[in-house]
Amino acid sequence: MTLLTRSSPVRRPRPLLARHALLFALAMAMLLSAPLAMAASPRIATLDWTLAETLQALGTPPAAVAQIEAYHDWVGKPRLPDSVIDLGLRTQPNLELLADLDPDRILISPMFANLTPRLSRIAPVENFSLYSPGKNTWKEMRQLTRGVAAVVNRPGAAEQLIDTTEARIRELRQQLPDNIPPLLVVQFMDARHVRVFGDNGLYQAVMKRLGLENAWPGDTNAWGFSLVGLEALANLDARLVVVKPYPAGVRAALEQSGLWQGLKQQSQGEPLVLPPVWSFGALPSAQRFAEQLTTALETADAR
Amino acid sequence: MLARLVRLAPLLRLSPGITCGLLCLVCLALASSNLVDAAGLLAGLQALFGAPDAGMDALVLHFSWWPRLMMSLLAGGGLALAGVLMQQVLRNPLAAPTTLGVASGANLALMATTLMAPGLLVVGREWVALLGGGLAMALVFALAWRRGLAPVVVVLGGLVVNLYLGALSIVLLLFHQQELKGLLIWGAGSLAQNDWGGVAFLAPRLALGALTAWLLLRPMAVLELDDASARSLGVSLRNLRLAGLGLAVFLTGCVVSVVGVIGFIGLAAPNIVRLAGARRLGPRLLWSTLLGALLLATTDQLLQRYSGQVSGLVPTGAVTATLGAPLLIWLIPRLKLRGDQPPAGATAPAGRHHAPLRLAGGLAIALASVTVLALLVGQTAGGWSWQSPADWDVLQWRLPRVLASAGCGVMLALAGTLIQRVTANPMASPEVLGISGGSAIALILAIFLLPSPDNLTLVGVGTLGAMASLAVLIIFNGRSGLLPERLLLTGVAITAAFDGVRATVLAGGDPRAQQVIAWLSGSTYYVDLTSGLVVLGLALLLALASSPLARWLDILPLGAATSRALGIDLNRSRLLLLLLVALLTATATLVVGPLSFVGLLAPHLARLLGFLRAGMHLLGSALTGALLMVLADWVGRQLLFPQEIPAGIVASLLGGAYFMWGLRRL
Repeated sequence: MTLLTRSSPVRRPRPLLARHALLFALAMAMLLSAPLAMAASPRIATLDWTLAETLQALGTPPAAVAQIEAYHDWVGKPRLPDSVIDLGLRTQPNLELLADLDPDRILISPMFANLTPRLSRIAPVENFSLYSPGKNTWKEMRQLTRGVAAVVNRPGAAEQLIDTTEARIRELRQQLPDNIPPLLVVQFMDARHVRVFGDNGLYQAVMKRLGLENAWPGDTNAWGFSLVGLEALANLDARLVVVKPYPAGVRAALEQSGLWQGLKQQSQGEPLVLPPVWSFGALPSAQRFAEQLTTALETADAR
Repeated sequence: MLARLVRLAPLLRLSPGITCGLLCLVCLALASSNLVDAAGLLAGLQALFGAPDAGMDALVLHFSWWPRLMMSLLAGGGLALAGVLMQQVLRNPLAAPTTLGVASGANLALMATTLMAPGLLVVGREWVALLGGGLAMALVFALAWRRGLAPVVVVLGGLVVNLYLGALSIVLLLFHQQELKGLLIWGAGSLAQNDWGGVAFLAPRLALGALTAWLLLRPMAVLELDDASARSLGVSLRNLRLAGLGLAVFLTGCVVSVVGVIGFIGLAAPNIVRLAGARRLGPRLLWSTLLGALLLATTDQLLQRYSGQVSGLVPTGAVTATLGAPLLIWLIPRLKLRGDQPPAGATAPAGRHHAPLRLAGGLAIALASVTVLALLVGQTAGGWSWQSPADWDVLQWRLPRVLASAGCGVMLALAGTLIQRVTANPMASPEVLGISGGSAIALILAIFLLPSPDNLTLVGVGTLGAMASLAVLIIFNGRSGLLPERLLLTGVAITAAFDGVRATVLAGGDPRAQQVIAWLSGSTYYVDLTSGLVVLGLALLLALASSPLARWLDILPLGAATSRALGIDLNRSRLLLLLLVALLTATATLVVGPLSFVGLLAPHLARLLGFLRAGMHLLGSALTGALLMVLADWVGRQLLFPQEIPAGIVASLLGGAYFMWGLRRL
């Protein structure tokens, strides 16, 4: 994991800093035995956090990402290098700034497709989709990883990332205790409503690979969740899994809630509480979720 | 069901009592059939009184179903009561419980607390919301205090405070969508309950409010008279209004803090009751409260019955707004309004400038300088810089936005001036007329239902939506001769439907919602050079076209009789003006989104500056609108660089600040 996430030295200096280019080149020459790699990996700007996460895991962090501060709050670890430039809002990246940075490629996801005409005046745009309804999420995740790696000319890194992640998840699957009941993965929106996760999402994809069953019988939207009132969770034979964060004040309110206390009684074992994971993430988020879920199930079982 | 019920009205001589009785039957039937489906009638009734040990079904009924039913009755009644009080004190059938900014104050307080001091929410979010609502009301009262809380000034103050706080919340929402997603559900008004805490909080407060309303009944009836007659009875108008509005705000604040924003009930219930024949204040208070409670409960029961067919949550508040809109539109032609009398003192008085032309010249110079500033000064990765006018690499991004903001500023300001003068209602604005609301509904649906719509499709869909709204406006008001007050009510209904659609979409938590927020709030981000040029060209053309109408605009506010006597064909002139407003609004909306509020603010700003006669008012508004939008667009791009704040938001903040200052000075 650490090997994959450490920022790689192949980042090129920005053309703006031409004065320092010589200095930089000297430093690079000392660091790199193969300077050819420099020319090989283009400067990437991306609006999508999933793609940013993947780029980082491939060892080629993007040059610019939208909403970096929020990225660190929601995607979390590993942090982007400090040199990465913030492009502003994901839905309305600052075009003047982007044009000024003059990236070689811009990577987006279908959500930002309406910006393509504008963005392609600045640099060639590539669109990567993940969590398309009706497609196998895990397969799509591999495809996305390979596609992104092809853009940054590091096909080897993609295979390595896929192999390590899948091997690690297989390992975790072996560690899981027996007889785990179906799980009901929820995240609180406020004290009365939760998102419950099902098909088409990261959590479901990981659970499937871990051989765990999802207890949610209802539909989910294109983003893999459904927003429901707490009462919708009644009469489901499952163990509750709560993904943090709890919104402010919600934990105190739940203590008072008769319905939630009843749901806790109904849950097959004490509800598990997991640290936050970017629920629209790619392989790195998937592995993190797998680790956390396994740890939680193991410790709960040992108790 | 309700529609059929009201169709029988002429046969039954519909009275408020019969309306409520019939609705009560419908509500009872629905509720008991829902209860039977859930657990059987007897077990369901038992669950009301506890029995948490009797299994999950009983638990859900006891902690979720029953509190929800009670909550819907309480919330509906409270909002309707508040609505009657508001409409009575403000003498405006458009007034709603949220008119004085209570909901937006509560919303902003909750958002700010979530982001900055989440610890306070543990103490109790109801209190945070109540405090926010109270502060918003205090601000409105402070603005209107010197004028003795005169209805017009209170309404204007409420409007601008609403706008201001709403704009601030949208800024927070744009930049902190993830943290605030829970509050979006609150904003859409979900009645879901999971204990009796909410009901226990609300019931005693509403009881207290109802009691106070009963005590205030006799003095409040005086407000039906005009100011002079009321004063001659020895009543302190200011204290009376303070009491009435304060009570309404307290009721609204309590409801909103518990269940969130539930639209429409507080506006519609009092109007329906009046339509059904309740004239005096006492019966109106009583029947409106009952009707409001039943309306909300019935809607919620219907929703619970049929929401199983859609995945995910459908918030009741949003549904009341969306479903209520057609009902209100249908009712409006049947509503007895004061009609064609000249509305008294409907515009805030302001001093006339001694040389309006020179003032206009000053504005034009200011506009030119701001345009140069917006084109040449800005931040890049390296910090602030001054571009040479020949640097097309940078100008290609800035020019379209400057052109479009100027064009849209002019168009919205003209539309606003026209509609405010024709209706003689200060709350009127192109946004309120429902044309932008209609096109926004169409666009939101297109963004969410079509796989990946391109810009041309979106423009086409938006135009269709605007035309549909216009058709509704004309068809339902044509027979009454396009009476201004009815037009506005119809517009308010369409806008309410739009609010419902928007709130549902945002509450669902779809990531695309952020795009919708950004566009809704008036952004020039998506403009390219061609559309920028087209917009500005159209704006100038339409500005020229509207200048010969100045004579109508001077005369129409004097009332129908005067206008006819001066030889104006009322129907034709109103239709023509309406078409012009529709054209202006639709074009501007398609470019910068429906919520820019320049159309509301610019005419008022121009008036405050001293442009009073219609011709000058049009010119002054157009210049003010363009100035405001160009400045707002530039400030929005620089303030939080590299993040961009939509121009419409910044315009609301800049214009709103000046407006509040001007209102204080009156």
